[in-house]
Amino acid sequence: MFFKKSVYFTIVATCLTAGAPVLAQTRTRTHVATLASEKFEGRLTGSNGEKLAADYLIAELTRMGAKPLPGMTDFRMPFTFTAGSKDGGSKFTAGATEFSGANVLALSFSDSGEVTGNAVFAGYGLVVPDSQNFGYDSYQGLDVKDKIVVVLRYFPEDADQKTRGILARYADLRYKAQAARQRGAKGMVVVTGPRSPNAGSTVPMSFDTAIAGSGLVAVSVSAAAAAPIFQAANKRLEAVQQELDGGNPHVAGFAIPNLALTLNAQIVRQQQTGNNVVGYLPASGATTGVGRPWVAVGAHYDHLGRGGAGNSLADNSQLNQIHYGADDNASGTTAVLNIAEALSTQPRKRHLLVAFWSGEELGLLGSNAYVDKPPVANDQLAAYLNFDMVGRVTDNKLTVQATGTSGMWPKLLEQANVVAGFDLTLQPDPYQPTDVSSFNSVSVPSLAFFTGAHQEYHKPSDTADKINYEDLDRVGELATAIVRRLMDANDAPQFTKVERQTDTGGRAGLRLFTGTIPDYATDVKGLLLGGVIGGGPAEQAGLAKGDVIIEISGQSITNIYDYTYALELLKIDVPAKVVYMRGTERRETTLTPSARK
Amino acid sequence: MCTGSLAALDEQAAPGQEERTFLSRVRRLTVEGKRAGEGYWSPDGKRLVFQSEREPDNPFYQIYVLDLTTGDTKRISPGFGKTTCAFFRPNSSEILFGSTHLDPRSKQWQQEELDFRASGQQRRYAWDYDAAFDIFAFDEKTNTMKQLTTATGYDAEAGYSADGQWIVFSSMRDAYNRALTPAEQKQLDLDPSYFAEVYVMKADGSQQRRLTTEPGYDGGTFFTRDGRIVWRHFDEGGLIANVWTMKIDGTDKKQITDFGAMSWAPYEHPSGEYFLFASNKLGFENFEVFMVDKAGLKEPVRVTYSDGFDGLPVPSPDGTQLSWTSSRAGGTGSAGQIYLAQWNHAAAMAALKAAGPRQSSNK
Repeated sequence: MFFKKSVYFTIVATCLTAGAPVLAQTRTRTHVATLASEKFEGRLTGSNGEKLAADYLIAELTRMGAKPLPGMTDFRMPFTFTAGSKDGGSKFTAGATEFSGANVLALSFSDSGEVTGNAVFAGYGLVVPDSQNFGYDSYQGLDVKDKIVVVLRYFPEDADQKTRGILARYADLRYKAQAARQRGAKGMVVVTGPRSPNAGSTVPMSFDTAIAGSGLVAVSVSAAAAAPIFQAANKRLEAVQQELDGGNPHVAGFAIPNLALTLNAQIVRQQQTGNNVVGYLPASGATTGVGRPWVAVGAHYDHLGRGGAGNSLADNSQLNQIHYGADDNASGTTAVLNIAEALSTQPRKRHLLVAFWSGEELGLLGSNAYVDKPPVANDQLAAYLNFDMVGRVTDNKLTVQATGTSGMWPKLLEQANVVAGFDLTLQPDPYQPTDVSSFNSVSVPSLAFFTGAHQEYHKPSDTADKINYEDLDRVGELATAIVRRLMDANDAPQFTKVERQTDTGGRAGLRLFTGTIPDYATDVKGLLLGGVIGGGPAEQAGLAKGDVIIEISGQSITNIYDYTYALELLKIDVPAKVVYMRGTERRETTLTPSARK
Repeated sequence: MCTGSLAALDEQAAPGQEERTFLSRVRRLTVEGKRAGEGYWSPDGKRLVFQSEREPDNPFYQIYVLDLTTGDTKRISPGFGKTTCAFFRPNSSEILFGSTHLDPRSKQWQQEELDFRASGQQRRYAWDYDAAFDIFAFDEKTNTMKQLTTATGYDAEAGYSADGQWIVFSSMRDAYNRALTPAEQKQLDLDPSYFAEVYVMKADGSQQRRLTTEPGYDGGTFFTRDGRIVWRHFDEGGLIANVWTMKIDGTDKKQITDFGAMSWAPYEHPSGEYFLFASNKLGFENFEVFMVDKAGLKEPVRVTYSDGFDGLPVPSPDGTQLSWTSSRAGGTGSAGQIYLAQWNHAAAMAALKAAGPRQSSNK
């Protein structure tokens, strides 16, 4: 081992001006150990751990002489996001009896407000789109306009496996709410039937970052609160459910015209604030004559906290433990600190923007918020280099993604890597699940460094002792050499748009391709487009980043869920009418979905 | 990294750990362009000269020098025509390579190849023994080029002797300097490499002399430290090749391998103890790097373990590193790029010592 090491150190000494590698490694270890410490509690966006991590990063930026961005007084750049919702005292009245407290809970996507109407029981409230060639519509024969719909939670318990498999896809309460709303219902009451799991319970309010309201007042009620409904209909709920549970599509719901229901849903949306930490090392002199006078390096510093947001891969024995996120992404954060540190003592023709993103694990929230309102115009950036999970080099392998975003990258990578000596794998695709996507979407030539997934990904076991520190330093040195070459050249790299090969839609079996990139982070009525895929159907239809889709094929869209369900109704190669808002202007176009490759 | 498509995290299939016996810190050295190969070291081990297709207006190889201490690369060949097989001249600022740039139709061939590619057609890779290839020496100090051979017929695959005074190369001139029989003409049209023979000349191009006479492609010629010549000889059929050595006057020819496969691109390790070479012993399209003891008394030992092409091995002058050409990256690297690794000479010596006696391919 000593032999290999000595050769490597010789190369470093002759070619990089970095100090003694041993010293650098000490600092690298300190950065990772601090960021991935128990004290920072997994750095969940908006948490105290995130705040402590930001304090640490700001102290480091200050120490190396960085400044807040022009026009800013602080390194912290806050952004707000919906972290969840809680019930603010919802009530439910059936006839003359009012229920509250534990007997009634608003659904997390409900609108706040009060509605009154006559009750209609609509079975499980399931509607399978015609495109599935499987006839099942709980609303068949029912008039629910201006009524309050009562539905069962889940789907028929005793149906055969195939039927359950199909119905389960449409049993999400958001989908049930959308079906009720589109049939003109004023509100929806969910009852967990006596034959179902969690019998008689209300539905807990779930954490949900894409939280826009559903355009409907909707609550879940306890068995006690449900009892008067079925008494008024002169039925026994268990018998009603049993009849439905066979999955027979001809078992119908029924109106209860003699019973008025009043739903008063009170939702308190929990807005939270995350903080990007961004600063810069100014150019040594005037940047006149230098094209695009900024180079940016960035890494997200947030992680999963204790894993409560649904993106943890911890098994049951690790529930609620701190997710340390040493590789994801204390490693990338450290690489960025090291790059900034190395360049802080060098002459610089361009400004170096140094960014630490938060909200990445919740869906690239921080970097998206930044590129939407950047203090330095995005077109002033010569390049953006991203570091996410770079602490696990094995067998000398390093993956560089997004290399298709400029024709310059292969040459620059070759030059810098001659000295750094990684076994490089180049992936042209910039549509990656990390912040590089945000910069690609605003046409900045970008690179993303990545050392591969591993067993500890998104688990509490992603700890600092598993980091390959020697090679983490080498990643930083390679990137520093690239940044230095970018800094020294008068001409900035040209951006090349990479055509996207596949849709972002995460749902298996969705074989339709629309070429839209939904913005999951922003709370608007409708579907906000974070971008459109080059050459895809959406781009051909004239849709663009920033448009808000409000209707597809006559289905109104108030949120990402409506959109996902609406896609089920579309057919490949069959044009569909799309209504959208561009700014305040309402527009219409025709989008023709293609087959997904 | 946020939970996206975990498919994006799939790692590439890695060559087996077996390779780590001799090679460590394996890495892809060249990245730019469609392909690169034939990387030969400068005598001080600080630079590499190689051929690469990396300029959009020329679909053929040009010659580049890569500074291993800075990562900077510069082209030293004219930029048009085809080139191949460069070599640093010891104790000199000259670098030789084969080039067709004096052929007035050079740019026409470039355009035709570009048009062919633009038409969406795929050509199976085959080396092109363009009869316009001659050997040139480029002087880095004066930025001038000197023509060393002028004969019609492919002159290339050249290397200097350790003292820089001699050049050994491969030439197909004997197919062009006389009237061919109809059978010979047919052979030339089918595969001109059949006529390739080993030649030597002085470093200034004088005293050109033929050393081999057997039918079949003789080429891939280099000097050894002790002043012999190592090359590979194809049989008449063109499918079986073996490594041979001989004295500089063409006498004392010795067959080093008898592998019953296409064994070629031999290069001596600077210790003088063994040759590295490439062979498709393990599958017609799966070339791997092997090594064999200097006298060829033992069975060759396998060095690389990856599908596709691994070949053209060249150890660094101090013997601690190995450069070779590999298609292992797939994707943008599937046409071959230069790789570099630390070379474990002690392990190589031990493995060669442990190898069994040479088997005969006739068994």
